[in-house]
Amino acid sequence: MSRHHPKNTTLADFAAGMLDEGRSLVVASHLAMCGHCRTFVAALEEAGGQLLTEVAPVAMASDAAARALRVLDSEANAPRAGERKNAAMPVWQPERNTLLDYELGPWRQVAPGLHHRVVKVPPGGGTRVFMLKAAPGMKIPEHTHTGTELTCVLSGAFIHEGGRFGPGDCDDADDLDGHTPLIDGDEACICLVAMQGELKLSGLLGRLMQPFVRI
Amino acid sequence: MPTEANGIKNAADLARLIEAVAATRDREAFAALFDYFAPRIKSVLMRSNTPPAAAEELAQEAMLTVWSKAAQFDRTRAGAPAWIFTIARNLRIDAVRREQRAKVLDLESTEFLEPPQQPDDELDAGEREQRVRRAISALPDDQLKVMRLSFFEGKAHGDIALELQLPLGTVKSRIRLAMNRLRDLLGDLT
Ligand SMILES: [Zn+2]
Repeated sequence: MSRHHPKNTTLADFAAGMLDEGRSLVVASHLAMCGHCRTFVAALEEAGGQLLTEVAPVAMASDAAARALRVLDSEANAPRAGERKNAAMPVWQPERNTLLDYELGPWRQVAPGLHHRVVKVPPGGGTRVFMLKAAPGMKIPEHTHTGTELTCVLSGAFIHEGGRFGPGDCDDADDLDGHTPLIDGDEACICLVAMQGELKLSGLLGRLMQPFVRI
Repeated sequence: MPTEANGIKNAADLARLIEAVAATRDREAFAALFDYFAPRIKSVLMRSNTPPAAAEELAQEAMLTVWSKAAQFDRTRAGAPAWIFTIARNLRIDAVRREQRAKVLDLESTEFLEPPQQPDDELDAGEREQRVRRAISALPDDQLKVMRLSFFEGKAHGDIALELQLPLGTVKSRIRLAMNRLRDLLGDLT
């Protein structure tokens, strides 16, 4: 069970459909592993439904319902074109090259013990999405960022000033936070990260990594 | 919820209509749902600055999706208005991201690593609806107002600040307070 959750405002933006795609992907990964936050999102959707019943209606065109029924006639009961195919899948499995339906780039070593892989989310909202894999005992370079950074641990664990983050845990950091995460335990730590703004790394490792994270 | 034409009095009536569409492809039930929801979906979309013609089209599309997905509706998991809210929301995301060939994450179709919490038998749909209603009405008016504009109407924080003539920081902190309060009241709701 996750102990670190996205901010409530982040979950609200997700429920309202206002989060950019990259951050939505990270939140969805957390939700897949956190029943508490799923419950909250469902409650927010219930709230959205109630607000929908209370809103003052705006008249549709006079033939709107008839037009919809004609469309139903022409399509009979066939599945509607363009409807998304629902595939059942866990969030991520190491042998797969997809994450929640998004294609993943190859793992690339960016420094000893540190691998990086792009998650192919269409550009938009200035958010970059990637996975990081860090070896046991490794210290991720100290960094700050100019925008927000949303991280979900997929496997393994890290520790930083904010506590210990294990599988499913989410680190919802804003631009004021600085980190020096240390990989905890004897398993590599794999994280999914959506980052807005520029990452500022320090130290030798940071300079090695910089060209790779600035995609 | 005030009584409508078609005798719709509450969310349970709406749920029965969706179930009738699912079970027998009931066109009268669909028409009743259309008359109830399409003008409300159009209204919300126009509030979030969607032009009227586009709002009308999206409302149409939402109702056609209600028809095709009716079998997936499960009143123990979500109330009828909540279910239709998510359909309209996903279509709006689709429309915004369409040029980028983007996907809408469909959690309902995802097989979770951690099994979903079982719906609590003791807490039926009506009770859940009441608890959410009470939680919303427990919000102070100033928080409810920004929450409605931000969460429901999808307005940017800066636009809300202009509309209400408040400093941006005040808008942000009211939204944060409202959402933290809702989490306190609803976080353990199953
Ligand atoms: Zn959570």
